[in-house]
Amino acid sequence: MTPTSPAAPLGAPHGALSGIRVIDFGQMVSAPYCAKLFSDYGADVVKVELPEGDAARLAGPFPGDRPHPEKSGLYFFHNTNKRGITCNVAHPEGRRLLLNLLERSDVLIENNLPQRMRAWGLDYATLAATNPDLVVISITPFGQSGPYSGWNGYDLNAYHLSGASSRYCGRPGEMPLEHGTFSADYFGAVTAAAWGLAAVYGRDQAGGGQQVDVSCAEAIAAAFVGGQNIGCYAQEGRFDKRTGVGMPLGAPATILPCRDGHVWMLALEPGQWNGLRKVMGDPEWASLEMFQDMYSRAQNADVIYEFIREWTMQHGKMELMEKCQAAGCPVTAVFTIAEAAAQPHLKARDYFVDMEHPQLGRLKNLGAPFKLPACPGGPERPAPLLGQHNGEVYREQLGLTTSDVRGLAQRGVI
Amino acid sequence: MAKHLPLEGVRVVNFGWVWAGPVVGQTLGFLGAEVLKIESAARVDMTRNLPPFADGIPGPNRSLSNHACWAGNGSVSLNLKEPEALELALRLIATADVVVENFGPGVMERIGLGYERLREAKPDIILFSMPAAGLYGPLEHVRTYGLSLTSLTGLDSLVGYKGGDPVPVENAFSDPYAGIFGAFAVLTALNHRRNTGQGQHVDFSQQEAVMQMVAPAWMDYALNGRSGGPKSNEHPTAAAAPHGVFPCRGDDRWISIAVCRNEEWQGLVAAMGSPEWAATADFATLPARLAHIDGLHAHIALWTRDFDDRELATRLQEHGVAACPVLNVGDLLDDPHFRARETFIEVTHPLGFHETIYGAYVKTSRSRPDVRPGPAIGADNERVFRGLLGIPDADYERLVRDRIIY
Repeated sequence: MTPTSPAAPLGAPHGALSGIRVIDFGQMVSAPYCAKLFSDYGADVVKVELPEGDAARLAGPFPGDRPHPEKSGLYFFHNTNKRGITCNVAHPEGRRLLLNLLERSDVLIENNLPQRMRAWGLDYATLAATNPDLVVISITPFGQSGPYSGWNGYDLNAYHLSGASSRYCGRPGEMPLEHGTFSADYFGAVTAAAWGLAAVYGRDQAGGGQQVDVSCAEAIAAAFVGGQNIGCYAQEGRFDKRTGVGMPLGAPATILPCRDGHVWMLALEPGQWNGLRKVMGDPEWASLEMFQDMYSRAQNADVIYEFIREWTMQHGKMELMEKCQAAGCPVTAVFTIAEAAAQPHLKARDYFVDMEHPQLGRLKNLGAPFKLPACPGGPERPAPLLGQHNGEVYREQLGLTTSDVRGLAQRGVI
Repeated sequence: MAKHLPLEGVRVVNFGWVWAGPVVGQTLGFLGAEVLKIESAARVDMTRNLPPFADGIPGPNRSLSNHACWAGNGSVSLNLKEPEALELALRLIATADVVVENFGPGVMERIGLGYERLREAKPDIILFSMPAAGLYGPLEHVRTYGLSLTSLTGLDSLVGYKGGDPVPVENAFSDPYAGIFGAFAVLTALNHRRNTGQGQHVDFSQQEAVMQMVAPAWMDYALNGRSGGPKSNEHPTAAAAPHGVFPCRGDDRWISIAVCRNEEWQGLVAAMGSPEWAATADFATLPARLAHIDGLHAHIALWTRDFDDRELATRLQEHGVAACPVLNVGDLLDDPHFRARETFIEVTHPLGFHETIYGAYVKTSRSRPDVRPGPAIGADNERVFRGLLGIPDADYERLVRDRIIY
């Protein structure tokens, strides 16, 4: 990876997506992360914020838990490599400015609720009339159509609407769980990035721009939950629910505690099971008939998990992972965030990048999500301060003068 | 005007197996690419034998889950253990733009299809590899299952009930996630090829791609040195309260409620009939609600438990509150929203049976894909080998007879 100085020219033509001009009119996670995938791989992304700023600026995490709009970790992460401007689209002049920017752009990425975009006079019909070649990527919990499209919603609501939590996450009888992060937003974001980039790539062939309507709930309901469940339900009228165990039909296949945390204990195929037995020191119980295949082991889950737990509790997670892996058994340590951050593997792959932010100082960030050897991507420039590039973008892109920009600021337009 | 999909004319040869690799192909296929999965009856993909089967009749071309996850891919069958099959694969790759694979590092080289060999066949080929932990590094040969891969990212350490042990996610969220993400990666490489004429070998580590999902916890670690842990359904950066799933009337019925803004809190209080507890200082502001979140959630759970989940969601939405029923698999097919969006569709398989799969889960206004059933093994053999590669009939018949095309 090439560490690039923060002073590198903005929008310099490098990266796989160089030449693609994107407006990010999103907040929090889904649209900003989608736009980050564009900017980290070389697209010229201008982030347009309302005067009060992206809600992520208030959402933290903050250093020392002291809120500050320029010190939000969430904002920092999702807005690298972008230039940032402010624009009050509720003001007629502001709306005009955004439309002018969109006339000169290839892509708009946004995650406002549909009624909000309509209220601003920024519905798809208006945008398409402004620029027929514009690809409008809208990422919302429920999508632009359907009975819930007018509902208020966030990541949490979208995730739990998808069937994923009821089916796959939590103990029976207890509340279904999200994954402790913005799972629906991220799923929607990568879905939107793939479908949206295709719409840009194939724009001439498709005959122009279009709206790419992503519902985070729908994407998960389809591609995660639906794929493995919906055919069965439609044909046989039966369905499964969460069990709290990693894999109820085979064993061992679940997370177990160990001396210093947890491991994912997996030994299903005969070779894996034999490997595990060897690492455990061939205990007598493991040779019992009822433990000789994954299904019968699962039928005796209570017994076998107790036996294995007794053993794992005497060992550390890294040791368990190393020895089991060496014996052909796919046991992995359940890394904490700190342990993930300290992994030699990720260091050897230059996954982490050191970045400098004017308010947050120097910090270690996650780098590119995938490696393109011919045109490396990844975060280089920190997220913009609120309105940091107002002058530059409005002058360069719209040909305004310095005094025009000053006037806009004075009238509260930007 | 005829509808044209954005990736028409792009040909993808997909060696992907099980779930993540086929979803890369599916995504590109839905977007218009011609995707040819290479597989073989000599070693049938295990997901082709996953029950339930269409009409209850077992068979590698009847697995309902396999068809849903693989739809969008075509299929040609080649027994790659045979040198002639390898030659055919290379001839096909010579006509292709992208090759996709999700084996472990080094496997493509071992079967004679390493990047250098592919480049000889097609100089600007894009090879997309998506091993669990990338193509190189100390963990390059780490063994994981899709559902445990997330343990290497820190994500699994965050899932669970507040203050408790991690709870396993019972299926590989990362497989479709990495599969769709992978399609984006392929598109970046296609765009670079369009800009420069250059192909490349994309190193897509599923660990690294998925690890970006822990960003909220990662940033708390980077800024404050904290490592995070399970916290039920609370907001990932503690920026909303209430933020949880609450019981409703009936067996295993729940509602999700997320309150991020003050107006939403006012709406919730009004919907609850302005109970006394909600007017106390403990719940007056977001910081106060966060400080008393366990008590807050307990109060709300006592209120929600007597309501029907859908009725309550509708009522809360009328008050501007982000609330939604928690659906189970049985609810999905008849849910009015998913019905209206045609999230799930019934299709007729070429073998004659009906099956329900998911359709185009993204709505594109100009170029909506026509989703067809998942492929039978070798469904595209004739078209590809006779048509595209121009293999004479007699040769084709011999190749089939000799189980090269198999």
